[in-house]
Amino acid sequence: MSGISARVARGCVVTFAIVLPALAYTGEGQARSAPTSTVRARTTWDSVYSPDQAARGETTYAKTCSRCHAASMSGKDEAPGLTGAAFMGAWNGLSLFELHDRVRTTMPTDTPGTYSRQDIADVLAYMLKFNQFPAGQGDLLSTDEELKGITFLSAKP
Amino acid sequence: MRTLVSRALATLMFTSPVWLVVQPFAAQQPAAPARTKAAPKKPAAVVSKAMTTANGEWPSYTGDTRGSRYAPFDQINAENFSKLEVAWRFKTDALGPRPEFKLEGTPLMVGGVIYATAGTRRAVVALDAATGELLWVHSENEGERGAASVRSLSGRGLSYWTDGKSTRILYVTPGYKLVALDARTGSRILSFGDSGEVDLKLNNDQTISPDLITGEIGFQGAPVIGRDVVIIGAAFREGGAPKSFKNNKGYIRGYNVRTGKRLWIFHTIPVKGEPGYDTWLKNSADDAGNTGMWTQLTVDEALGLVYLPVESPTGDYYGGHRHGNNLYGESIVCLDLNTGARKWYFQMVHHPIWDFDLSAAPILADINVDGKAVKSVAVPTKQGFLYVFDRVTGKPVWPIEEKPVEQGDAPGEWYSPTQPFPTKPAQYSRNGVTLDDILDFTPALKEAGVAIASRFKLGPIFTPPAVSKPGGPLATLANGPTNGGTNWPGGSYDPETHMLYVGASNYSPAILGLTPPREGQSDMMMVQGMAPQPAGSPGGRGITVQGLPLFKPPYGTITAFNLDKGEIVWQIPHGDTPDAIRNHEALKGLTIPRTGQPGTAGTLVTKTLVIAGDLQVTTVPPRARGAMLRAYDKATGKEVGGVLMPAPQSGSPMTYMLGGRQYIVVAVSGGAYSGEYIAYRVPAPSTR
Repeated sequence: MSGISARVARGCVVTFAIVLPALAYTGEGQARSAPTSTVRARTTWDSVYSPDQAARGETTYAKTCSRCHAASMSGKDEAPGLTGAAFMGAWNGLSLFELHDRVRTTMPTDTPGTYSRQDIADVLAYMLKFNQFPAGQGDLLSTDEELKGITFLSAKP
Repeated sequence: MRTLVSRALATLMFTSPVWLVVQPFAAQQPAAPARTKAAPKKPAAVVSKAMTTANGEWPSYTGDTRGSRYAPFDQINAENFSKLEVAWRFKTDALGPRPEFKLEGTPLMVGGVIYATAGTRRAVVALDAATGELLWVHSENEGERGAASVRSLSGRGLSYWTDGKSTRILYVTPGYKLVALDARTGSRILSFGDSGEVDLKLNNDQTISPDLITGEIGFQGAPVIGRDVVIIGAAFREGGAPKSFKNNKGYIRGYNVRTGKRLWIFHTIPVKGEPGYDTWLKNSADDAGNTGMWTQLTVDEALGLVYLPVESPTGDYYGGHRHGNNLYGESIVCLDLNTGARKWYFQMVHHPIWDFDLSAAPILADINVDGKAVKSVAVPTKQGFLYVFDRVTGKPVWPIEEKPVEQGDAPGEWYSPTQPFPTKPAQYSRNGVTLDDILDFTPALKEAGVAIASRFKLGPIFTPPAVSKPGGPLATLANGPTNGGTNWPGGSYDPETHMLYVGASNYSPAILGLTPPREGQSDMMMVQGMAPQPAGSPGGRGITVQGLPLFKPPYGTITAFNLDKGEIVWQIPHGDTPDAIRNHEALKGLTIPRTGQPGTAGTLVTKTLVIAGDLQVTTVPPRARGAMLRAYDKATGKEVGGVLMPAPQSGSPMTYMLGGRQYIVVAVSGGAYSGEYIAYRVPAPSTR
C-alpha cells in the first residue's frame, strides 16, 4: 500500500492514504489546531514521541509498572506482556487512544484513575520505544484528539 | 473482617433482588431440585448429583470431575459451525470496581441456569442459560484482603453440588475464603462453615505469614467436589526471584460440602516423620514453601481417588536452599478422596529448577492397551510430555526411563543426576532449544537469530539454568519452563474413541539466568536474573529478530493422541498467523504456512468436533478484525468451520443442550476488549 511517505515536521498533521480505504486523503499541511473532524492517518511508525519523553516514561515505568509487567515487559502473574506478538496483535489497528484509555481506566489495579494523562502518555512513549517504533522530535500529547489520530500498527506500513 | 452491618448490606444489595427475579424463571424452567423432588421413590439417603454431561448439562468445570471437557452432543457440527449465531452475551465490567480484561472462567450449566465467576471481585453470577439474563449475583468485597490477593481477578470457575434437597455453588474468593451459596438464590448457606464461609488461611497446619490480610496464599481455580468432599488448592506469587527461600506451604485440603468442616489435609511438603521428609536434605522441608496446586485437580468418584497436579517448591529456578529431590514438588499425587491418605505418587521432575509446575488437570481415561483394559490418568505438561499412568497403581502405562542429565555449576545448587523420560507418547511440544529451533524464514533472519541465540546456553530439556555472565551465556534459553507446552486450559478426552486432545505452546521463550540478588531483593543465594549487558545487546521486543519470534513456527498447536496406542494421530497449528508476522516487511513475498499462535488453547470435544478459539486478535482479509472460534474434525484435525469472536478466547469453552438446542459458551477478553461470556447456537430453522 503506497502512501505519501513524507516526514513532516512536528506541528503538522501527517496524512497518509494508507491501508484502510475508509480513511480519506485530506491534503497536507493543515495546522495542528485543525478541527477535530480532520482525519489524521498517522501511525505508530510516524515518530510520534520524543526520546526525552520515552526516558521520562521509562522512569515512571520502572517505578509503577514494572512490578507487575516486568522490566522486560514480558508480563507476569496476572499482568499481560507489553511486547511480543500477542501484545502487537491485541492493539494492531486500534488507536493509541484505546491503549491510553485502557491504562487510564484500569491501572494501577488497586487504585485505577490515579495516574495523570501525561504520565500515561510518557509510559506509552516508552512502550513504543521498547517495541522499536521510531522516535521523533516532539512529545506524544495526552489529548484524546492526538491519541485518536494515531493508529497502532504492528508492522511497518 | 466483615461486620454485621456490611454483611447485612451485602445481603441487601446482592441477594434480596434475587428472589424477585428468579421466581418467575423457576416457574417456567424447573431447576434441578424441583425435578429431583418430583422423581418418585428416591431413597431417603440422598445421593450427590452425578457429574456428567450425558444429560445435556455441564455440571463441573471440565464437564465432569475427570478432566474430560467432553459432551456427547452433535447438533453443532461441521455443516453448521460457520453459521453459528450469538445467542446471548454477558458483559462483566460492572462486577467489580474496574473492568476485567482477563476473563478465564468456564461456566457451569445445570437445570437451565448458567453459573460463572466474573469481574475483578470474582463475583458469582447465575444467568438464564437460554437468554443470558442475570438471575442473581453474589459478590464479596474483601477490602484490603482482596486487594492483597496473590490470585486476583475473576478466577477460572466454581463448583455445583446437590443432594436433591440442598443445591449449592461453592467458590474461592480472591482473599482465599471458601464460600457456599444457595444455587437458587445466591444467598450464603448459613449452616456452612462460619455463616457460609470457611477462612482458608486458617486451620492449615501452619500459620500463614505475615497475617490474614496479606498472608501469601490464594487460589483462582474452581474447587472440585467428589462425592461430598470439596477439595481446595493453594497458589502463591510467581517465584523466579522470591524475597525469601522460606514461604508458606501449599497444603491441599478436603472439606465436607455440607458443613464446611475440614476432613483432611495433605502435606505437599512432608512434615517431620512423614514419608518424603528425607527428600529435603538438612531438614529444608521445614523452611521451604509453595509446592501447592494452582490448577485444576481431578477426582475419580467411582474409585474414590483424587489426582493432584503439584507445582514447584520455592525458587522456580534455584534450589540451593532445598537440596534433594523435594517431594512432592512437580509430582502427581493420588489421594484417597475420603481421608486424604496418599495412595501413590510420581515425581515428573526431581529437584525442580525449571518451573515445570504440573499445570493442567490430569485426565482420567479408561483405555485398552494391548487388549487389556486400563484405568489410566494422563497428564499434559509444560515440558510437552504426556505422562500416562495406571491410575489405581500409579504404574506407568508405557515405561518412563530415568536418564542422566546435565549437571550445572550454580553456586550452592544441588542437581539430580537423572530425570524421568516417558518412552511413549512422543513429546508433543518444544522444550529444549538448539540451533535447529531458530527461525529460518530467510538465511539473513536465521543468521540474525543464531547471533542472538549464541549468547545463550542452549540444550535439551533439563539443561540447567545458567549463571548469567555479561560475556555469555546470558542465561539458558528454553521453551517449556514457565509458559511452554500445556498450561492451565488443559486438554480434552473423548471416552468413546479414547482420543485425547491438547493445546500447547511452542513459542514461550524462557530465559533461565541466575544472578546473586540485588541488595535487599532476597535472602536467596541466587535468583532469576541477567547480568548487566553491554550496549547493543538484544533488547526491545524481548528475544526476537526484528520483532519476529526467535523460534520456528508452529507457535501453537493442538495435538490428538490415540491413548490406546500412545501415539500422536494428528497435530495442527492452531490460530491465524499473527499480524506482526503476516505483515512483516522481511517476509514480503514469502509464503508462510499458518503459524498458529503461542499459548495453550483450551479445547472442547463433542460427538464430532474439537473446538477451540484463537488466543490473539488478527485482521486477516477479507474478514474483520477479531479472533476465530474454530471447529476441527476430531478424527483428522481438518478445520471444518469457524466463527468470528470480538476478542481472543481467554477461558476454555463449554457446551450444553437446552430446549432442544445446543449452545457453546466461551469467555473472551484481552487488549481493548473487556471480559465477556458469549453463547453461540445454530440459527433457528426457517419456517418457510
